[in-house]
Amino acid sequence: MKAKAFNLRDIFGDWWESATPIQRGITRTVVIATFYALPFLNNPVIDTPETSFKSVLFYPLVLFALMAVGLNVVVGKSGILDLGYVAFFAIGAYTHAVMSARTPLNFWEILPFAMGFAMLAGLILGLPALRLRGDYLAIITLGFGEIIRIIAINTEAIGGAAGITDIPGPTPIFGFEFSVMDPRPYYWLTLTLLILVIWGVLRLSHRKPGRAWEAIREDEDVAEFMGVATLKYKLWAFIIGGAVGGLAGAIYASKIRSIQPELFTLNLSIMILACVVFGGMGNIWGVILGAVLLGYIPEKLRFLSDYRIIFFGLLMVVMMNIRPNGLMPRKKREKFQEKIS
Amino acid sequence: MTKKLLEIQNLVVKFGGVTALNEVNLHVNEGEIAALIGPNGAGKTTVFNIVTGYYKPVSGDVLVDGNSILGLRPYLIARMGLGRTFQNIRLFGDMTALENVATAADALNKSGLLSALFGLGRSRRDEKRSMETAQSLLEFIGLDHRAHQMAKNLPYGDQRRLEIARALALNPKVLLLDEPAAGFNPQEKVELGDLILKIRDKGYAVLLIEHDMSLVMKISDRISVLDFGQKIAEGTPSEIQKNQRVIDAYLGVAEDAS
Repeated sequence: MKAKAFNLRDIFGDWWESATPIQRGITRTVVIATFYALPFLNNPVIDTPETSFKSVLFYPLVLFALMAVGLNVVVGKSGILDLGYVAFFAIGAYTHAVMSARTPLNFWEILPFAMGFAMLAGLILGLPALRLRGDYLAIITLGFGEIIRIIAINTEAIGGAAGITDIPGPTPIFGFEFSVMDPRPYYWLTLTLLILVIWGVLRLSHRKPGRAWEAIREDEDVAEFMGVATLKYKLWAFIIGGAVGGLAGAIYASKIRSIQPELFTLNLSIMILACVVFGGMGNIWGVILGAVLLGYIPEKLRFLSDYRIIFFGLLMVVMMNIRPNGLMPRKKREKFQEKIS
Repeated sequence: MTKKLLEIQNLVVKFGGVTALNEVNLHVNEGEIAALIGPNGAGKTTVFNIVTGYYKPVSGDVLVDGNSILGLRPYLIARMGLGRTFQNIRLFGDMTALENVATAADALNKSGLLSALFGLGRSRRDEKRSMETAQSLLEFIGLDHRAHQMAKNLPYGDQRRLEIARALALNPKVLLLDEPAAGFNPQEKVELGDLILKIRDKGYAVLLIEHDMSLVMKISDRISVLDFGQKIAEGTPSEIQKNQRVIDAYLGVAEDAS
């Protein structure tokens, strides 16, 4: 029997396991309610200078978190390095922008299309690319991210380099009006979708697909020898990651109301990847924490104007030296039992 | 006549200009422990990599329970009934012992990702089956008390046995063991021999690659010997021990017989 580990994670983990369903339910409700209440918070310590905290909550915080959770399925769970995640975000954004202008559909009806097209892109990219591994696959995804952006620049039908303006926002739902001035409904909307995505991803993680992804990450050849349909599950990871990226893109476009190809550069792919790595690859709570911090810190440092990026970079270097596996690594909680014999 | 669960016919394998296996015929009968021995570099592991679909042969055929597996992806071959272990332990290190075995058990479940996402009954039944299979296999190899420890943190001997349990989770027709006794002390080797006999008695046929002769001679029903990609002998343990070509292959032939 190993000595009882003493850290927050194990203390919380032990408590969670021993908690009754009612206690768990209450904890969940309180945590979720706290997040929904965040826009009402008016605290000078947390508040961001120069940008309103309410809009920072929507972009980058919750939107980064959503994308990081999506990318984490690909990078963290399955171990596929994807450097072109922004492509799915762009596809989602353009789907909403184009379809809202040319079809009578509203935002809510377009959302499934935005996800669907991103999933289709994941399938089309993944089918040939996922036969490769490691660096070669990373280069292809990198290229894919750039190709989507360059196609957007050169296609006049979708606005070319000037992009698309006058994109409508979501139509009111459950009494919430989505106006340009008030970022809070967008935050609540994204948070709701984020919770749904977390629920879905956790569900998959605890069952066959999660084990298949982890096995692929650990040793792809052995996974195949053990009967795991590796190509199929890698494709699924890509498709699910893509769907979440497309979802985030559509929300983003509906909020900022005008999009240009230059919004969807490699920088954003790297930023989301940084959230995943910084927070702890493969741990869904870790990557959310990573996304929140990496979204928040540059906003907080805004008083340094452009120098903030230097401080931000420095901070990341220091952090990755202290915790090379991320803030909350994916390490599983091990349970030790006496052998009964 | 006994049924041949695994049959290798006239197998030729080349890597570039090197002939790794030349016209090799091998088979594993139902309910037997067949051993494959030979000096280092004789092509033993290549045989495993061919029958599990990792390499493609130049010519020849591989039949599992009468069906050719040539051209099939490794995961399909695994599901048809070939489970293997590795010379260098290759567990899923960051997964628990139970998850390692369950991953292989999952392969026999039909339900896929969507049914897991939407919590369909089929997926829930499959999940239960995987977990029960994994748990009972861990009990079988005596590792149930370590079910929730990470594979990479297990002691060496436990890792070797966990690999066997993981391969058994595929409910294989033939279990392929690649040097399972490597790195074991004499006592552990005896225990391993007993475990392999127990596996055979449960009804699995075994194809064993092993360098430890006392283990091979003790538990094998039939032994095939490879040398430089050729099968040079086949027979019962006592026949192999007396075979002059086998002795020469292992000890070398005197150049000048003066």
